[in-house]
Amino acid sequence: MKFIAMVLLAGSAYAFFAQNWQIAEGYNIGFSSDDAAGVFKGFKGTIAFDEQNPAASKFEVTIDAATINTGNGLQNKHAKSDEWFDVAKYPQISFKSKSITKAGSGYQVTGDLNLHVVTKSISFPFTFAKTPTGGLFKGAFTVNRNDYKLGKPGGDVGESIKVDLSVPVTK
Amino acid sequence: MFKKALLLGIVSGLLAGVAGVVYAKVYYSANEADFSKVAGTVRIVAASLFGGVLAAIGYAVLDKLLKAKGEIVFNLVFTIISFASLLLPIGHRFSPPIDTPELFPGMVIPMHFFPALGWYTLKPLFLKSAKTPS
Repeated sequence: MKFIAMVLLAGSAYAFFAQNWQIAEGYNIGFSSDDAAGVFKGFKGTIAFDEQNPAASKFEVTIDAATINTGNGLQNKHAKSDEWFDVAKYPQISFKSKSITKAGSGYQVTGDLNLHVVTKSISFPFTFAKTPTGGLFKGAFTVNRNDYKLGKPGGDVGESIKVDLSVPVTK
Repeated sequence: MFKKALLLGIVSGLLAGVAGVVYAKVYYSANEADFSKVAGTVRIVAASLFGGVLAAIGYAVLDKLLKAKGEIVFNLVFTIISFASLLLPIGHRFSPPIDTPELFPGMVIPMHFFPALGWYTLKPLFLKSAKTPS
């Protein structure tokens, strides 16, 4: 009887806690708009994800804003300045999930994106595929830079910025 | 005239290419910045040679059109074009981005002056100086 209770307890605990994954090398946090494109490095955080139990999953990740790389030195400097990311004041971009649900063949995550001076709730689809070394998360979403007070409205850089994520993880 | 100018263009272009390759090697080792995929040995030599040949054509054309004033105008134009071409490496965007793109102009900008330097240095060996127009 005691044994059965322990098994049930262990089983219920498994249902509430998702697998923790470590972010592996080779991730790509890319962004692109009409006149600017690039990547961010310095991606870290905790990823708890269970394919069978997405509701118990949780993402809490940050990006070092100063690691922005547009492929051009002058543009990088400009992007880090107070007109854009103002990395001296706002060194981190963070995302904290609030809910993760199954959506078709993939998943849908909703959470708070803290970027520059604004924290705003966003929702976007993503996929998870198992790999020999762990897994691979892939997702994409679009943000309006004006919502986050990034740059001045108008100008050469498009207001709609697409963010592409590809994050390999290991157990 | 054109043959001598062309020969000067080729020789000064090759010399500029060699100087560029040597400078790139020194730059790589000093800054640990490797741009060999964008500005490798072949590209540096080819671009320098192209600059030298283009200069030869320009020299020949201006010499024919403007006679004695041709060399003065040519030197001015060659220098201005060398300066203006700096916008290319400054505005170059690596896609996909590579580490330390800000070091790229520092490597390439001096190279943009090497063909002109080579031309001005070797010119007395190939072409007689133009007479000063009265």
